[in-house]
Amino acid sequence: MSGDGTATSWIRTVSRHHLFWPVVALVALWIACGIVSPGFLDIKLVDGHLFGQLVDIARNSVTYMLLALGMCLVIATGGIDLSVGAVMAIALSVSLTYIDGAANGESVSTALTAIALGLAAAAVVGAFNGFLVAGLGIQPFIATMIILVAGRGIALAFTGGQITTTHSAPFKSIGSGFVLGIPTPLVIGGVVFTLVALLVRRTALGMLLESIGINRTASQMAGVRSRNITWLVYVLCGLLAGLAGLVYGAPTMAADANNIGQLMELNAIMAVVIGGTKLDGGKFSLAGTIVGALILTTLDRAVIIFHLPSESKDLFKAIVVIAICIAGSERLRGQLGLRRVPQVPGPPTSPNKPVEVAA
Amino acid sequence: MTAQTLSEKLPTTPPTAPRASDRWWHRLLDRRFLPVAGTVATLILLLVGGQLRYSTDDRSFISMRLFSNLFIDNSYLLVLAIGMTFVIISGGIDLSVGGVVALVGLVIAKLLENGAPLPFVLVVGVLVGTTMGALIGVMVQYFRIQPFIASLAGLFLARGLANLLGKTAIAIKDEGFASLASWKLKFGERPDIWYINLSMIIAFVVLLIAVYLLHYTRFGRTVYGLGSGDGGQAAGLMGLKPGATKMWVYVISGTCAGIGGLLFAFYTKSGYNLSGVGMELDAIASVVIGGAVLTGGAGFVLGTFAGVSVYGLILVICNREGLEIWWNRILIGAILLGFVLLQRVLVARRR
Repeated sequence: MSGDGTATSWIRTVSRHHLFWPVVALVALWIACGIVSPGFLDIKLVDGHLFGQLVDIARNSVTYMLLALGMCLVIATGGIDLSVGAVMAIALSVSLTYIDGAANGESVSTALTAIALGLAAAAVVGAFNGFLVAGLGIQPFIATMIILVAGRGIALAFTGGQITTTHSAPFKSIGSGFVLGIPTPLVIGGVVFTLVALLVRRTALGMLLESIGINRTASQMAGVRSRNITWLVYVLCGLLAGLAGLVYGAPTMAADANNIGQLMELNAIMAVVIGGTKLDGGKFSLAGTIVGALILTTLDRAVIIFHLPSESKDLFKAIVVIAICIAGSERLRGQLGLRRVPQVPGPPTSPNKPVEVAA
Repeated sequence: MTAQTLSEKLPTTPPTAPRASDRWWHRLLDRRFLPVAGTVATLILLLVGGQLRYSTDDRSFISMRLFSNLFIDNSYLLVLAIGMTFVIISGGIDLSVGGVVALVGLVIAKLLENGAPLPFVLVVGVLVGTTMGALIGVMVQYFRIQPFIASLAGLFLARGLANLLGKTAIAIKDEGFASLASWKLKFGERPDIWYINLSMIIAFVVLLIAVYLLHYTRFGRTVYGLGSGDGGQAAGLMGLKPGATKMWVYVISGTCAGIGGLLFAFYTKSGYNLSGVGMELDAIASVVIGGAVLTGGAGFVLGTFAGVSVYGLILVICNREGLEIWWNRILIGAILLGFVLLQRVLVARRR
């Protein structure tokens, strides 16, 4: 990165970069898939539209990506949002129920209103989470679990317990259309990523998020309005989850509130963790999160390419997560001499605590 | 209270001692029993409401029949929630139990299909849960992975393995298993016949063992110590073993999930890779409704028992009201919210 000149220091800089291992894993997966299925890496232009396995993977990864971006910001503040899967279901149910009831489902204005309503519902849920976490000071894990439990019930209440299926070409196009030959979800994902990246990296917001994640009290004392920012982050996460729900459900146009977004919160968290963001908060990587989302989608696809039973992808993911967590654990790094471990017996403690007790 | 006060004013000890214990009781009421008091109040409210609304002249809502049905339908959940109680009091969480239930059910179904002897199958089924728990425990304790992530990996692992074993529901046709599943004691006269079945007995035995373990042993003390906010440091300084205990807590939860999987297999007489989706949430909700504080350090096994009863009663009442299924989840979410807010108020008061 810094361009020291000598090759070794360059390699060292690159291999120490937080994106190094995730990118290596992604490229290795792609190469493995390319060897097993020769056409895998081809990208073709058919009728002015991009086609190919990699394009498919990128398109499918947009759902994970949108969820994971919001989750990443929440995790940066030291929180977690378990409700994203349920929010996906709520947003899609609201949108499709509106289209179903509208006089002319095919009109663009109906589709736009439906999208706005779906996103508004998602933002309301996000605001509720934010209120519990920032307003009342409830642990994020617990606060967002309430929507995780109740959210699908709410979504089902919107659809009346049915799987609402409807038709609307403009709405469908956000999931399966093309803009200038590029799949629309990919465009949406790109725009959202750019906006979020600009918002957190070109303003002070990202730094403030990290400061809240490191020490909420200290950042508050330093004049960071941590309460408002935390609230904002949960609304943003809800909004992105809602968008993910719309993009995910648009190709099928079916609001199956029981199944859409099932276990998605876990996938989103996994994408963030694979991307090198620590769950403790205080540090985050948006680019890493994108790579994480791509890895997850590639894993989904790799299972098919390697002719493994399609149901084994959960096992696959479990092994990947366990491997990554153990590889990143302080104890293993300590034993391999990669990082010094504070020599404290028993559970993890900050170094100053034993002193406190002894005094 | 202290030796000093006693030696200085020995004659005045009798009047001061009760007052001191008075205050002690007050504090106890505030800190530990209030959430459980909320649970009991909810339970009574549901029972009285149900009694007023659903009782007819010749049949009362509150009856042995109600409770019998309640625990026939929820015995597996009770066992899961008991295991979860240990984990939550220790300040952790176990998200894997739903997956373990599915895995255990399929293992039992597959083994019986291939003609393995029944006692062996039952033991293996429970041990599958124990193994999953031990795995999560190792990740949490040895590798210091957050419980939440470690048990999440456990959930995916269990579901992935279950998916590999079979993608369709496998009916359990073994006669010995069927007779165990349908064995029950009959009580009472028509129309108020009620039953005690094997699942209930197992669940109550687990309950008794858990009460003993958590409230009357050194191990139980350590579990509370782990959840007290210092990561078990105080417990460690007192000569307890927080490290090993942290590991054991997950083994217990896994074992309970194994037993829960067995009871669920009794209940459904089949193994299915998609069973138990979201069951971990039901278990966590029951524990929280039962008054355990999710940050750890406070809660009771009997509170969890009351929490599972509340959970079951809500389902019964939704059913009686003819409400659509989705109201179950919304109502349970609302009650969960209520208890989380109650806990929040209590924690705020403590500070």
